[in-house]
Amino acid sequence: MIVAVARRIALSLLTLVLLAIFVFVATEIMPGDALDVTLSADELAMIPPERLAQMKRELGLDRPAAERLVAFLAGTVQLDFGLTIISRTPAADIIAYPLRNSVLLAGAVLAAAIPLALALGVAAAYRYRRALDNAVSAGAIIGYSVPEFVIATVLVILFAVLWPLFPATITAATRDPAHVLLAAAPLPVATVLIGSIAYLARILRVGMIEALASDFVERLRLTGVPEWRVLLLHALPAGVIPSLTAMALYAASLVSGIVVVELVFAYPGLGQELVRAVTRREVHVIQAIALSSAVVVVGLNLVADLAILLLDPRTRR
Amino acid sequence: MKAMHRRSLLKAGLAGTAFLAALDRSLGLAQAQAAPKRGGTLSYAQLSANRRSADARNARHPYFVVDANTRLQWNCLTWVNEKLDVEMELATKIEPTDDRLVVWDVALREGVRFHDGREMTSADVASSFEYHRRNAPFARQIQRIETVGKYVARFTLETGNAEFAYILAEYNSVIMPAGSLETIGMDGIGTGPFKIVATDANRSMIMERFDGYWREGAPYLDRVEIHNREGQQESALNGLRAGQFDAVLTIDPRAVQQLQSDPAYDIETARGGYSFVIQLPKHPGSPFLDKRVRQALACAIDREAIVRVAYGGKHGWIGNDSHLMVTDAAFVPRPGGRDVAKAKRLLAEAGFPNGITLPTLYFSPQLPEVPRYFQVLQQSVKDAGITVPIEERPNDGYIQFRTGDNDLSKGNFHKFAMTAVGSRNPGISLFRMRGANVESGHWRGPEHDRYMALYETAMVTRDAGRRKAIYAEMQAILHEEVPAILPAGGDTFLVKRKSVRNMPYHPQIWSIRFDHVWKA
Repeated sequence: MIVAVARRIALSLLTLVLLAIFVFVATEIMPGDALDVTLSADELAMIPPERLAQMKRELGLDRPAAERLVAFLAGTVQLDFGLTIISRTPAADIIAYPLRNSVLLAGAVLAAAIPLALALGVAAAYRYRRALDNAVSAGAIIGYSVPEFVIATVLVILFAVLWPLFPATITAATRDPAHVLLAAAPLPVATVLIGSIAYLARILRVGMIEALASDFVERLRLTGVPEWRVLLLHALPAGVIPSLTAMALYAASLVSGIVVVELVFAYPGLGQELVRAVTRREVHVIQAIALSSAVVVVGLNLVADLAILLLDPRTRR
Repeated sequence: MKAMHRRSLLKAGLAGTAFLAALDRSLGLAQAQAAPKRGGTLSYAQLSANRRSADARNARHPYFVVDANTRLQWNCLTWVNEKLDVEMELATKIEPTDDRLVVWDVALREGVRFHDGREMTSADVASSFEYHRRNAPFARQIQRIETVGKYVARFTLETGNAEFAYILAEYNSVIMPAGSLETIGMDGIGTGPFKIVATDANRSMIMERFDGYWREGAPYLDRVEIHNREGQQESALNGLRAGQFDAVLTIDPRAVQQLQSDPAYDIETARGGYSFVIQLPKHPGSPFLDKRVRQALACAIDREAIVRVAYGGKHGWIGNDSHLMVTDAAFVPRPGGRDVAKAKRLLAEAGFPNGITLPTLYFSPQLPEVPRYFQVLQQSVKDAGITVPIEERPNDGYIQFRTGDNDLSKGNFHKFAMTAVGSRNPGISLFRMRGANVESGHWRGPEHDRYMALYETAMVTRDAGRRKAIYAEMQAILHEEVPAILPAGGDTFLVKRKSVRNMPYHPQIWSIRFDHVWKA
């Protein structure tokens, strides 16, 4: 068990180092730099080329890539992602609150999505190939297939414009308390929730169908164990195990990847900050966001692996 | 019952329409003439980009605030009005002290207070411009700034500039309380009608009325809330429709077409907001080395069709192949109009009697109408036998792609490509066609030299009428030489609720004033 845990932790750390190098290389090949995109065409037209070169030197944009890679890796170890190029502010400071806000949005979605998806997945699996299963499966396919921006637009038209119950666009500030942000975000939460329930219900249903069809469930039923005990205490844990990794990765993707929803509702999260940083070539902010997202993905994957190790003795070998 | 004839029905309909129109006009007039009301909050979304990314440390600094908002909390020494004429703002008089127009004395308005209660003096102006001349491209021509008296500041320029007053109105040129180069402007204190209460970097700014504002009676509003929705027009318009915003600044022409029929909103138009320059590279082997090819292309483009298709006919204007906007008093329309026969003749003289295939023309979707704009251009020049492959490039990295460098051996020469051009005074606009600037396709030759000589003469010509004549001569050179092509431009728009009054838009969005905006 200890060896298995140590092996997974070591693999996770190696993955993070490789990801850090990949992130650096990926940001290196982006065209242009922060100074270029800071200047408008009108301003650029007024600056002589030699002055532009001097400004780049002053901002350290002419340093060799190898030198910057070493500095980047050394800084990353100490959680120092460097300063923004134009305003000289720590990149970590810039992403701290957006990261909190994205975790908040993802947390709210998951808090609602997991129990609902569990209920639907279990019910559909229990009524396999009957009306309820067909309805859940069809609903899940539709919910998962419709793009989030379409769901968002429909929700805004219905619940913000025609029937103004919720804000159409979020005007709360990035550093507002969590309850203020959540109170302003029912529509973004609902938008992501629909797709999340659809996705999670589908994978849980498959796991539960396999568990309910297994020999040990059959044996339990033959020995006269009540059906609700078979379902909830025996089949459910077995049915959830195969879905754990997928669920963990999905949760991680919610933290780092709700870009469309954040843009549609102007939610002050990590996705919006990433788009802004890419547009402005603030490479240190891009690197900090990419790495923190990677940490979330690798971390949740590790948690799922450890949970499987705990729940399934066969994996400890 | 008497039968109703078709003619009487039509008459009744026309009379009814006329009555309704008159009623609408009188109501509109009444609305416009209603006495301004004090108080209230204006909440608006703005869509233009602030490429200087603000953060919690500098979100109050004028260089990191979106330009459309700078005149809420600051003022400049001068202001450019909607017709692009310069007016005094914090200055009362701007005069050159020498014939070369190199040294300028600026007399300041007395009794102007900053938001912290301090009086603005020439020391603040000197300190502000020490910062600007190091950091703002338009202010780099200022060599020295000194105080002559408490209310007079003296500017020494690198070379004479008859239009120096315009430089003082640029969005970066705001007056801040004196401070060190490291800290000046960080507190967001200005002399403007509103003072900053709270900021959320890149996202929002909350401002309240400044009671000590120097313009008497202004502002009318108590509070202004600005929400940044850069690149998120739908989000901003959703906020408008849901009643969260009173206005959205810088909407695109398509949104105008959707919203203008909605009785809940007013569209405010600023004529001549921007244009597009197509740079024509003149490196060895380029077809644009031959002036006749450039002239043929200029003659072949159906500019009216571009305005009709890309701008719905009324939200755009025909360019004259200079960087001047149509609203500029110095703007001289390009003579002759579209002439396909002449284009064909020029091509034949240039050795292309059967037409010519030009290199790929690149564009990026800097504004939503751009793809349509260039599709119309491509189709229209076919009539003259000109084939222009067009290719859309992403905005991301486009500047580097377009400008490249000036060395063919590096394989990254500047491209046959477009970029958007903002609205500025004639001096700056015409200077952009200098050979050293990529937008001219690095134009060279005797006519270029004559153009630049005229420019230099204009810059030291005090008399505005004489300058205008020189500008006309410069444009005539451009019409003949065609170093670059600026086929057509667009207007800029804002949409607002009917309850928001007296909020006209401005072709330079950093010059929009909120002093007399009020809410019914």
